[in-house]
Amino acid sequence: MKLLIIEDEPALSKSIAAYLAGESYLCEFADTFAKALEKIALYSYDCILLDLMLPGGSGLKILEELKRQNKADGVIIISAKNALEDKIQGLQIGADDYLAKPFHLSELTARIHAVIRRKQFGHSNLIKQNELEIDLLAKSVQVKEMPVLLTKKELDLLLYFIGNKNRVISKAALAEHLSGDLADMLDSHDFVYAHIKNLKKKLHEAGCDSYLKTIYGVGYKWEL
Amino acid sequence: MKQLLNKPLRAFAGYAFLILLCSIPAYYYFMDYIWISELNEHNRIIAEKTKYNLNAIANQDSTLAQTIGLWNKLQPNTDLQPTPTIQPDSIYNLYKQKPHAPNQDIDRFQGLVTYFSIQGQPFRFRVETNVEESYETILTITGVTLVFFIFLVLGFILINKRISARLWQPFYATLQKLRAFSLDKQQSITFDPANIAEFEELNQALSSLIESNLGVYKQQKEFTENASHELQTPIAIVQSKLDLLLQNQNLTQEQSSYIDEANQALARVSRINKNLLLLSKLENVQYARQESINLSELLSDTVLLFADYAEGKNIAINTILEPGVSATGNKVLVEILLTNLILNAIKHNVDHGSIQIKLSPDRLVIANSGTTALLFDQLFRRFGRASTHTPSTGLGLAIVKEIATKHNWTICYEFQGNWHYFSLILTP
Repeated sequence: MKLLIIEDEPALSKSIAAYLAGESYLCEFADTFAKALEKIALYSYDCILLDLMLPGGSGLKILEELKRQNKADGVIIISAKNALEDKIQGLQIGADDYLAKPFHLSELTARIHAVIRRKQFGHSNLIKQNELEIDLLAKSVQVKEMPVLLTKKELDLLLYFIGNKNRVISKAALAEHLSGDLADMLDSHDFVYAHIKNLKKKLHEAGCDSYLKTIYGVGYKWEL
Repeated sequence: MKQLLNKPLRAFAGYAFLILLCSIPAYYYFMDYIWISELNEHNRIIAEKTKYNLNAIANQDSTLAQTIGLWNKLQPNTDLQPTPTIQPDSIYNLYKQKPHAPNQDIDRFQGLVTYFSIQGQPFRFRVETNVEESYETILTITGVTLVFFIFLVLGFILINKRISARLWQPFYATLQKLRAFSLDKQQSITFDPANIAEFEELNQALSSLIESNLGVYKQQKEFTENASHELQTPIAIVQSKLDLLLQNQNLTQEQSSYIDEANQALARVSRINKNLLLLSKLENVQYARQESINLSELLSDTVLLFADYAEGKNIAINTILEPGVSATGNKVLVEILLTNLILNAIKHNVDHGSIQIKLSPDRLVIANSGTTALLFDQLFRRFGRASTHTPSTGLGLAIVKEIATKHNWTICYEFQGNWHYFSLILTP
């Protein structure tokens, strides 16, 4: 899968690429407005990560150009400007998602995963992983073809883990994912633990292998 | 407070009074002088005429004594008597009763005593003419002066009123605009052109003062906003590097804990930065959108949002929410306000503590159990530390206050019986 990272901070784009390295992602970079325009005109990408403040122009212009060229590339805006207007405008022009800096790489990966999934599978959204099967449309989970009842948050966590498989996810990242913008205000992330405990228990009882590993003192990992 | 125009009015009226007061004796003196000199002349003419006529009539000796006797009878104000010698003339002024008058009025007379001879015989001739009495003159002059003084003062007041209404109109217009001015609304004032040089100058001076203040204010706010924006990217880089580091297979537990602690500190930096950005945006008059907000619903949603977190900290949240309480405001901001207040109540609570949230149409009270009262004057200040316990951004309550002020609400704090009460009073 091809990914274009339009970001003028090489340190950040390198981090993103390094985090995604194990997956079947091919990352390309554009650090200026002009380079970004050139790349999107020449190639198609499964997902484009778009910074709004670029040397040479605004990322929103690139988004408009993409739409003008009728490209189907998924676009996630990653911006330091967490302004509501920018978010609304970006989504209106046709971005698939908006992520404010700073973010956890696991959050970004989960969102890239979701965007690509939507683009690739159209409307029949089924994720299969060995004995585990998730129907995104019906929001239902089956283990060995037997339904497992998960709460909204548990399902949310499960998808997050699958999107970040084989990576260590910090508790802070999970808390942020679950409680959105509130997470960094909370001084304890213990509530994450309760949800994960329940998820683990339900999957285990349904006969699912224990893919979800606890990395002591750090976080969790979905190991395949 | 006295009005500016009333001050000169008083001075003018006082001055006019003084001048008019001085004019009374002056008028009297001149009038009396004219009177007396005219009457002296008049008396002299009568004397001359009498002398001439008597000389003309009394050619015969026999009739002279008769004529003079008759004269004295018929001319009431004159008296002609033979005298041994001719003496110099004299003038006098006297008050006496009118002769033969029915009432006993005292009258003032100007008299002349002159000596002349008729047919060689010396005579003393006295003539008295009635003059206006001094006190009557003074009374009349005083009365007239008083009437004029009253007209003068009435005129002053009237003119003053018209002047203050017309002349000062641009001044009041300027004052009105200045009152409505607020630096954080970032709206410059345009003054109407005044046709008076001083006011025009004042307006220009005010305009340039306001312009430069707005400029400085904007620069300052933009600085905070830009600084916060600039910080987001390096924070994002550090965050991403920490996330990457976490993926290392060979991390020791100690190293992992370092990363975890760095993560926590970074989360705090990030939160402070976001809050600063929010505050500067609040001051920069963003979030102008106003709508009707159902506070009851918004509050119960917010409480739900924190249910996990509160449960994790063993804190019970009890709510008494009157349904259908609504307020007008910016939804994003009100959400932030509620979030900050509730979060505060959870964070700064005791172990196994509880929170009471009570919403009524005019106020919202969020109470949480605690041990010691917080320092009130530090509470709503930026980076003010009201307590020394949990680390926080130090901006949460400053934001609450800023948002409340923006909506014309008041936020109060009270500590009573081991409970912290934060009340948001919704009626302005």
